Amino acid sequence: MYVRERVLIACAVLLIALFGFTAFIARQYHRTIHRFADEWFAKGESAMQAGQTRAAINDYRNALVYKPEDPTFQFHLAQALASAGQQVQSRAYLTNLLSEDPESGPINLTLARIAVSEKRNLDAVRYYHSAIYGVWDTDPLTQRWEVRSELCEYLLNQGNAQEAEPDLIALAQEVPLRDVGREKIAGTLLLRAGLWSRALSEFRAVLDTDRRDPDALAGAGRASFQLGDYAESVNYFNRLPRGVRVAPDVAQILPIAQQAQAMNALRPGLPASEQARRAAKALSVANARIAACATQRGESLPAASGAAPDQLQKLYVTAQQNKKAWTLLGLSQHPDQVTAAMSFAFQAEAAATKVCGQPQMAADKALSLIASNRTGQSSE
Amino acid sequence: MSETVTPQPSSTELPPAGQETLFERVRSAWQAWVQRIFGEREDQLFLFLAVLIGVFGGLAVVCFRVAIDWVQFMLLGSSLYPSFPRVVIVPAVAGLGIAALVIWVFPRSRGSGVNQTKAAVYVSNGYIPFDTVIGKFIVCALAIGSGQSLGPEDPSLQMGAGIASKIGRYLKLSQSKIRLIAPVGAAAGLAAAFNAPLASTLFVIEEVIGTWSAGVLGAIVLAAVSSAITMRYFMGAESLFRVPSVQPAHPVEFLGYAALGVVGGIVSLFFTKWIAWARPRIQALPLWTHYLLPAAAGLIVGTIGIWFPQVLGAGYSIIDQALHGEFAWRLLLVLAAMKLVATGVSFLSGTPGGMFAPTLFIGAMLGGGIGAIEHHFFPSITTSVGMFALVGMGTLFGGFLRVPITSVFMVIELSGSYTAALPVMVSSLIAYLISRQYQEVALFDMLTRQEGLILPSIEERREQEAFLVEDAMRPEGAFVVRPNEPVTDLAIKAEAQKDIPVLLRVRMGEWRLLDSEDLQRLANDGATPHTASEVKSKGPLPLLFPDESIEEAMRWLGDWPVIPVVSRADLGQLEGVLTFPDVLKAVRKAKAE
Repeated sequence: MYVRERVLIACAVLLIALFGFTAFIARQYHRTIHRFADEWFAKGESAMQAGQTRAAINDYRNALVYKPEDPTFQFHLAQALASAGQQVQSRAYLTNLLSEDPESGPINLTLARIAVSEKRNLDAVRYYHSAIYGVWDTDPLTQRWEVRSELCEYLLNQGNAQEAEPDLIALAQEVPLRDVGREKIAGTLLLRAGLWSRALSEFRAVLDTDRRDPDALAGAGRASFQLGDYAESVNYFNRLPRGVRVAPDVAQILPIAQQAQAMNALRPGLPASEQARRAAKALSVANARIAACATQRGESLPAASGAAPDQLQKLYVTAQQNKKAWTLLGLSQHPDQVTAAMSFAFQAEAAATKVCGQPQMAADKALSLIASNRTGQSSE
Repeated sequence: MSETVTPQPSSTELPPAGQETLFERVRSAWQAWVQRIFGEREDQLFLFLAVLIGVFGGLAVVCFRVAIDWVQFMLLGSSLYPSFPRVVIVPAVAGLGIAALVIWVFPRSRGSGVNQTKAAVYVSNGYIPFDTVIGKFIVCALAIGSGQSLGPEDPSLQMGAGIASKIGRYLKLSQSKIRLIAPVGAAAGLAAAFNAPLASTLFVIEEVIGTWSAGVLGAIVLAAVSSAITMRYFMGAESLFRVPSVQPAHPVEFLGYAALGVVGGIVSLFFTKWIAWARPRIQALPLWTHYLLPAAAGLIVGTIGIWFPQVLGAGYSIIDQALHGEFAWRLLLVLAAMKLVATGVSFLSGTPGGMFAPTLFIGAMLGGGIGAIEHHFFPSITTSVGMFALVGMGTLFGGFLRVPITSVFMVIELSGSYTAALPVMVSSLIAYLISRQYQEVALFDMLTRQEGLILPSIEERREQEAFLVEDAMRPEGAFVVRPNEPVTDLAIKAEAQKDIPVLLRVRMGEWRLLDSEDLQRLANDGATPHTASEVKSKGPLPLLFPDESIEEAMRWLGDWPVIPVVSRADLGQLEGVLTFPDVLKAVRKAKAE
């Protein structure tokens, strides 16, 4: 027993000594490990900022060897992998992270982006929504707004304007006051979704802050144009600097808007003379279109004797029969003829489009546009 | 033991209580406690020692792991992918040092450590020299740290066993306990190295002890748990690799896991056969070549490492990446092949180090590769590459190391979920069956047999058919009589069949053997009628059941000429009788068959 007692005491002493020694070297070891981890992570961050994704991935992996459970390292590696196109690998890390932190905004957002790149639409929308309603460490309102904006953009790119509508409305409502940049983004997205009135409101809000903002003027011009408010549209476009006005998207719409404004005789509240002037111009454009279309088809106006007249020739005959009444003077004296004249112009444009294809001239396009917006005559 | 016991002073020899100093009182109380706890029952001491060994083993493995990493930082740097030419030069030059240490200083540190520990248990009565522990520590740290494709678990197992053996010898434990204490230390070492006490316990039982021994199970579990706790205290509770969350497998996916089992079985078989073929040939090479073999292995491993640095060292972080599906299927399969070559070369060169981690590595890559291929062709049914990699680890473990039970529990313990249990059962069982069918002896047993030792194998024991009482008993081998039966009738019957014993059923569960001579004597006594209860008898006889083992029966057959075999449902119903000649006859018959 004496020997055992001594051995056990010796074991206890040795254990204490070994425990102390192990604690010392373990502390040194962990210090070194953490230093390595931080150094590799810093290298990874530098590489990522320099656009060297491959090098960053290696560095992050090295960092993870020394701190394998660190969620920040894992997340950065996952982001780097996603940037390098290694979606499957990235997804594995992110799914694992998500299982531990299912409400994380950044993780859900990265997973959403991966789903977008892999064309998994349902997953993408699900992850985007989880990110919107998820937890963000810094500036959550801004982050959520940005994610919602990204989701709307994605849905619009997919052609899912209807699905995007609730998020677009929420996006517009959540724009902070006087935040011109986000108001413009929201307005542009609303414009792309065909939500013209809401888009116009956003751009007007921008113009309240800066009435010369070219993006807002262009957006408001386009929204007004789509709403059939050609005068307002022309007004916005005309306020644009000359350089912006010749930009393709504006240059395409502006002449049509100007022509539409010049020919819309049906706008309520116009004086009779102005109605007559606009109707006369519309008739002139319509007659020119009939003539041009007949020439394009090699037909004669009027129809040759004995031949059965087609639609264009019938319209030509109608124009000739009302030639005297549908002059500027005649329309001024008989305002009741304005509606008939405009109906004729619309019919002529529709018939020409049917026979000869879509109009090329801005005036013809404007006339077609007025025709299609007839239900909204009062909107100008 | 008796000569070491210090006689305790009797109460009359003690000074009066008032005259004792505080120190003397504390000392005598301590001695009394030690005597009560450790002196009287060695079993209690053994369990206490299991905890002590667990802590020592845990501390040793912590230091070992730190040493491996320090060597790696110093020689290869802190990057996962060491630069050229360092990746080639370091393993080769370190190989020269390893050879010198193994040949000149620590010759007992050769090998993985598992079969050496088993040999120590069965051949050397649990004796493992302490220089083996020191040698394993130094040489394996140098080998694994310098990039040789080997793992630290098997050496940790042997170090734990060595520490336990030393403590047992110092404490002058009985021979039987010293033999048992080495596996206890082995479990401690492995549990700390692998951070998986449950799998380690099973591995030691399956591979080191080679038998399910209830006597040592408690101590092994205590040691494994205490060493794992010690390890976690210093190194953190994290697993060696992070297992991603796994989803339950779709029933169709089990075809994939079955395919993984087939491939795993074939790879295991190939790996084992290669080592079995090459090892004796390499060992037979002239002595001078053994100075160069580890360096040559280092050169080969380093050269592979130029293109595939993932194969260097134990490779836990690479397994981690595979579990997260970071590699394409081509790279996974190439890595499995390269690791197999690198590990085989490192092991065959005589470099000390374990096969545990490389097996997991190859399994993870193989599983991941097959999972990725299936995912490519059937994206809708394959859950994740990580799940396949996890199952692959268990598969190769079951097929190559031939420990199917450990492999299933290891996967459960590593993943912390039962989700992967069913797939790994399917896969590892197939791999095991293929390996078992075409390679009769398992890897570690084969290594010991190549060294001229034949050790017991749990695999062989598992497959042995049990020899039961019902195989040897005679169903109608006795007369059964009741106490009130007249002896005259009995005597006539007994006379007709002299060889058959007469058993008296006294009451439920009490049987006696009647004395034939006394039966005849009473039957011939015409003066008074006698009943069976008056006949001289032996008993009560011990009882056997048909499903009991012959070993159990043999304990009684030395003392009793015949033993009744009764039904478990009714102790009064005789199923047959068993005698020593019956057992001999049955054994001869079984041998002939």
